[in-house]
Amino acid sequence: MGAPLPEGPFKLAPPLVFAPAELARAIGERLVGFLSWLGAVSMLTGRCVVSARHRFELGLTVSQMYYIGIQSFSITFLTAAFVGMIMTLQFQWGLERFGAALYAGKLVSLSFVMELGPTLTAVLVGGRVGAGITAELGSMAVTEQIDAIRALGADPVGKLVVPRVVAATLSMPVLVMIANVVGITGAMIINTTAVGITPRFFMDQVVTTVDVSELMHGVIKSFFFGYFIGIIGCNGGLNIRGGTVGVGSGTTRTVVTTSITILIGDFFLTKVLLPFT
Amino acid sequence: MDPTANPPAREYAPGDPIIRFRDVYKAFGRNVIYTGLDLDVFAGETITVIGGSGEGKSVLLKCLIGLLKADSGSITAFGHEVTRLEERDLQQIRLRIGMLFQGAALFDSLTVRDNIAYPLVEHSWKDPALIDERVGEVLELVGLPGVEKMMPADLSGGMKKRVGLARAIAIHPEVILYDEPTTGLDPSNVKRINRLIRDMQDKLQVTSIVVTHDMASAFDISDRFAMLYDKKIVWAGRTEDVHDADVEVVKNFIAGNIGTA
Repeated sequence: MGAPLPEGPFKLAPPLVFAPAELARAIGERLVGFLSWLGAVSMLTGRCVVSARHRFELGLTVSQMYYIGIQSFSITFLTAAFVGMIMTLQFQWGLERFGAALYAGKLVSLSFVMELGPTLTAVLVGGRVGAGITAELGSMAVTEQIDAIRALGADPVGKLVVPRVVAATLSMPVLVMIANVVGITGAMIINTTAVGITPRFFMDQVVTTVDVSELMHGVIKSFFFGYFIGIIGCNGGLNIRGGTVGVGSGTTRTVVTTSITILIGDFFLTKVLLPFT
Repeated sequence: MDPTANPPAREYAPGDPIIRFRDVYKAFGRNVIYTGLDLDVFAGETITVIGGSGEGKSVLLKCLIGLLKADSGSITAFGHEVTRLEERDLQQIRLRIGMLFQGAALFDSLTVRDNIAYPLVEHSWKDPALIDERVGEVLELVGLPGVEKMMPADLSGGMKKRVGLARAIAIHPEVILYDEPTTGLDPSNVKRINRLIRDMQDKLQVTSIVVTHDMASAFDISDRFAMLYDKKIVWAGRTEDVHDADVEVVKNFIAGNIGTA
């Protein structure tokens, strides 16, 4: 054994010991936690369906569409424009080696409408909207406002959850369509200025490359992404406990969960939808 | 039935038991709240449930209107077994029981008018003029005329409680639940809220269940006391008998020897 280490301001981490039983228990707890969450989200979805059939709050849904859709326009616009321009720079750089920089528009437009437009928009809007929903409902939960809704004879799911889930589900495809247009326009600006092609040539490439089924591939995925954002945000908010600290940690959890769910969901949706594209 | 009509005739006489808790068990995980709680509430009385913090006083109120489910035992309100009712059927019970929450629980995004109108709209009041009239009436009752357009954030703590009370009574409840109605208020607002609780009983002939650990207020407003201790009701009786209670913890609590913190 060597000499003991001198004492300093930093404590040494305890040595890592491989403990199979502890590891198995930790994995088991995570698995149970995940299944409970999945069950809660599924049950909330079921309650949304029952509640919406009983009474649908159109006015509240429209106001949520304003918050989720219209107010997410700037973040969608900026993200799409810059991602479109960056992708064009990257593809031009790669294609130049093969003398094909003229055709960057084909690659950018196809990858944008099928994948990047829906996924990036969903992750960014999901962070903004999902966190907002969780914080709002969580604050209502810790100040007993959700109990008050029930005590006054109303249904919190119908009043709070259904409008948000429906608004997110319907707003996301619109945002994705906007992202597609903005992203491809950004790509066109870079492609035409850097390579010297005309906007018409660029648009011809886009139109001849992207067909309706590829456009719909992205749009269909965006409906699901919108649903994920709405339901995860609401489920997170309704289950917040522990005062303002709970609201903070719940909001963070929602952002992480929404992003991961969108990416995992994207994989499976792509797998299902590709044969029809 | 016209929902905007005056309160319907009541099918019980003053002094009839209208709410019963029998052998109620409730736990949150390993945290056991009740182990066989019994309590009767009689029509027209104001009963105050006293007990230290964390004894489950607020849980009692929430179990009564089905916001929380008892694990076992029986809770009846107006002859209906609350523990067996589905959420939709519970709404009929909640129509008859108003609740003032500890922090008033006003909806931040709605004006005072819309907060008070909320239960009215939920229960099919369609005419905005009638709704406005009722909002004005209940605000007058709680001594806050003319605040309809204010937002909850603009109200003081005492005003929030009074608006919360106005919202609770808007739909003509037969029972009002008060969860710590005087907590966090200055002495003048405490007096005002206590007077309002008495006024509600006198003017509206409602039954009141008050949960508090504010003993001065409890003596001011109560017809009866019930002491919640060690996961059950250990004593219930008339206010004038509480000093002679034969249960040691009641005497100690009244004397301030059992902590409320």
